[in-house]
Amino acid sequence: MAEVLRSLRLGEGGDPARACARALDAAGVALSLLVGADRTAEPLWCHPELSARFEELQFTLGEGPGPEAVRTGAPVLEPDLERVRPERWPVLLPAARDMGVQGVCGFPLGIGAIRVGVLTVLCDGDRRISEQQYADATALAAALTGAFLNGTGHGNGEGNGHANGTAPRPDAMPDWPTGLNRPVVHQATGMISVQLGVPIQEALLRLRAHAYGSERPLGEVAADVVARRLRFGDDLDDDIGGPYSPDTGKG
Amino acid sequence: MIAMARERRLAEIFVEVADSLVEDFDVIDLLHRLSARCVELLDVSAAGILLVDAHGELQIIAASDEHTRLLELLALQHDQGPCVECYRTGAARTNIDLTRTEVTAAWPRFATQARETGYVSTHAIPLRLRNRVVGALNLFQSTPHRLGDDDIALAQALADVATIAVLQQRTLEQSHVENSQLQNALTSRILIEQVKGVLAERWNTSVDDAFTAFRSYARARHLRLSDLAAQIIEGDLDTRTIPAPPRAS
Repeated sequence: MAEVLRSLRLGEGGDPARACARALDAAGVALSLLVGADRTAEPLWCHPELSARFEELQFTLGEGPGPEAVRTGAPVLEPDLERVRPERWPVLLPAARDMGVQGVCGFPLGIGAIRVGVLTVLCDGDRRISEQQYADATALAAALTGAFLNGTGHGNGEGNGHANGTAPRPDAMPDWPTGLNRPVVHQATGMISVQLGVPIQEALLRLRAHAYGSERPLGEVAADVVARRLRFGDDLDDDIGGPYSPDTGKG
Repeated sequence: MIAMARERRLAEIFVEVADSLVEDFDVIDLLHRLSARCVELLDVSAAGILLVDAHGELQIIAASDEHTRLLELLALQHDQGPCVECYRTGAARTNIDLTRTEVTAAWPRFATQARETGYVSTHAIPLRLRNRVVGALNLFQSTPHRLGDDDIALAQALADVATIAVLQQRTLEQSHVENSQLQNALTSRILIEQVKGVLAERWNTSVDDAFTAFRSYARARHLRLSDLAAQIIEGDLDTRTIPAPPRAS
């Protein structure tokens, strides 16, 4: 598992899907990202080929743990498809049986209302998911969320955390954006989404971009937004991303 | 007399919680009410509940009041503070004197912010599930008086109720792993912070006032806070139908 996380961090070549499947001891894995205004699921990587076919099927039908995890924002665990009520996924279940897929778990990638994608894990013959597999899959989903929020497939220098005094965690995960544990960051994200009239995921990006651009900790900038010392106006050049600050300029 | 009254109150709380554990109940709202009951029964100034996330860090899930200052203080404990120690060791840490720097040396940022918020002592009680710890109940006092053994036993009982509430949720659909319940609860919590911001901006009020109006609306209509929050953020609900709080002067 650590190996997979490290390879994500370094952005090394190789086949991340294969490495994930091996680390999770799963029959297959697929990662899809939600793209565009209508949040269509686009497969990014799958292993093995069966996973690719199943991924295509569940998102074409809109049935299964993947689409359901996207809708609810919560993990959907069905390691034994035989035990799923037929009317829950009427088209998918018979098709999955024909393909030889025995169990499927979907793990959403996102933060609160923000959804960036979903990790689908195909379970092997013993039709259960162990505590360890679950812990590894959620850790992986969290790491991938962090990586995609950083705007790259791997960590960049931004989130190392010196800014707010916490030590970097070299052995842990691809850089998880720091400050996301603070309530003010999520509150500010909600406020900015209204100020700019943009979706919540874009609001978080704009907030982080501003913190990065002004070399200030994310939490501090967010606290300024919540206290209304800083406002993101939509009348400014988006490329500069410069919010309007009524009293102190860029602090 | 006081002990009698307290026992009766405690019995009422257990009944209230048991009544709440119906299918699809609102875990965030229940934990909020439970935090408020801790304040009342233990005669402390504030209470908060933290759960461990996928990174193994503690995240805030509910508090006795939603003032951002208290939420931020609790949030500091993702990497330092008495709850982190309680989580790692599985043992309660009680009657911690925040005014003595030799006691708080391991987590200076937390201690400073707690003192600035007006607290002089704190307690951390583990949320235990069999042999593992899934979070902590954090209590704060703004006047110095010690919690006795009875108080601490009561605090542990309330922490156990919180654990049951979190892990009960959605057992019908997802009986496999307890962790997914923790994860769902934490996702809901972040969603609620996001919606506080959305509403505060639309109404031009503080986030604290926005939350109060939001919760009243949800309770009056028997909606789960996280479901209502998701509807608002998705734009599926016209927020003009929610009575806005009076504007801050």
